[in-house]
Amino acid sequence: MKKQLIELRVNGESFELAVEPQKTLLEVVREDLGLTGAKEACGTGECGACTVLIDGKPILSCLTLAIEAQGKEITTIEGLAKAGELHPLQKAFIRYGAIQCGYCTSGMILNAKSILDENPKPSRDEILKGLEGNLCRCTGYNKILEAVMAASTGED
Amino acid sequence: MRIPRFEYFRPSSIDEVCSLLYKYRGEAKVLAGGTDLFVKMKKKEILPKVVISLNGIQKLDRIECDEKDGLKIGPLVTHDAIVNHPFVREKFDFLSETCFKIGTRQVRNMGTLVGNLCNASPSSDASAPLLVLETKLKLVHLYGERTIPLQEFFIGPFQTVLDPQEIVVEVQIPKPAPHTAGSYQYLHKASSVGETLVGAAVLLTIDPRNSTCQEARIGLSSVASTPIRAKAAERTLKGKRLEEKIIREAAQVAMDETQPRSRSLYRREMTRVLVERAILRAMEKIR
Repeated sequence: MKKQLIELRVNGESFELAVEPQKTLLEVVREDLGLTGAKEACGTGECGACTVLIDGKPILSCLTLAIEAQGKEITTIEGLAKAGELHPLQKAFIRYGAIQCGYCTSGMILNAKSILDENPKPSRDEILKGLEGNLCRCTGYNKILEAVMAASTGED
Repeated sequence: MRIPRFEYFRPSSIDEVCSLLYKYRGEAKVLAGGTDLFVKMKKKEILPKVVISLNGIQKLDRIECDEKDGLKIGPLVTHDAIVNHPFVREKFDFLSETCFKIGTRQVRNMGTLVGNLCNASPSSDASAPLLVLETKLKLVHLYGERTIPLQEFFIGPFQTVLDPQEIVVEVQIPKPAPHTAGSYQYLHKASSVGETLVGAAVLLTIDPRNSTCQEARIGLSSVASTPIRAKAAERTLKGKRLEEKIIREAAQVAMDETQPRSRSLYRREMTRVLVERAILRAMEKIR
């Protein structure tokens, strides 16, 4: 199929790219933009490893066409640190040992960010429900939960 | 996993969608949220030559609500939009609660109610509450339109009456009568996606003067080849005072109306339990 010229806004920057319509947003950010933070695991929308934010809301980039993400503000994990300073959630994940193999981490942190942006003081249950679409096979989730709780209380 | 190639169209009107569906006959698929379509394409269960995106058409993501007419939900309205809509939360609480249960946070931000119905999974969570709300669907094609009750829409597992040249443009939900409340009770598999094993929706209207049941509707998902209404169980309740014995009897009758395709013993028994629970919960809400 013929490539089409598209413009994407990723982490505040604009990129012009030629893509085939079946290319997913995940393939484009990883392969064309070199932003390899978002991961592919299941490829079918069950694991959440490919989560990125579109206009602040978490979506599955493995089931989103890049061509359909035009005109929207896309945030990947690479866009969270500001001026060399890690985001409070990133710091909390490190401090609480909420990262082991790291494969789920970028999706987990982006989804957690959207949860806290929507509700800065969520309950433990609200965080659990919010993160149900992000699977982690290492941590057993407790450390992730502790890290998100810590970030929500503003602990640095 | 890659999505197989296709030709992409992004029309700006429903008329154009209909023309494209007519032109490509059965070879085109309509794209809304993509959470079902692209999974099926990646698994090569379907390989459409053409994908027609609705995302270039204005106003399809609107929820129209009216005290008199009820709700009209467009084909790009996501589950998340239904969960967070103030009018839906107030007047159709069990629909918004049900949509909060669907998929995951990410899926609710992408997947649409209309897409969920068109996928026609026998275990679709939205279907049982929508059945008891007597929902209608508006379908259009190049040469006309038709409006059909939701229960006529489903004809088998993952099968609907939707013609390949037709598109669902609206979900119409009438406003429930006064003294009416509903409840959706379910059990699901232990997984992130949590596919429903049994879902039971009950909508009751109770006459406040003599406490009798004026109207009872029971919808069940995941216990037959399509979502179904348990009409005999509804008749058991109608016109009666809802005492323990009648509620038990109705739940028993509902159980006998199921035809599970697998795990029959469990699904039948849980239908009885969940119908009873949903009746009691709906009654509590009316009080």
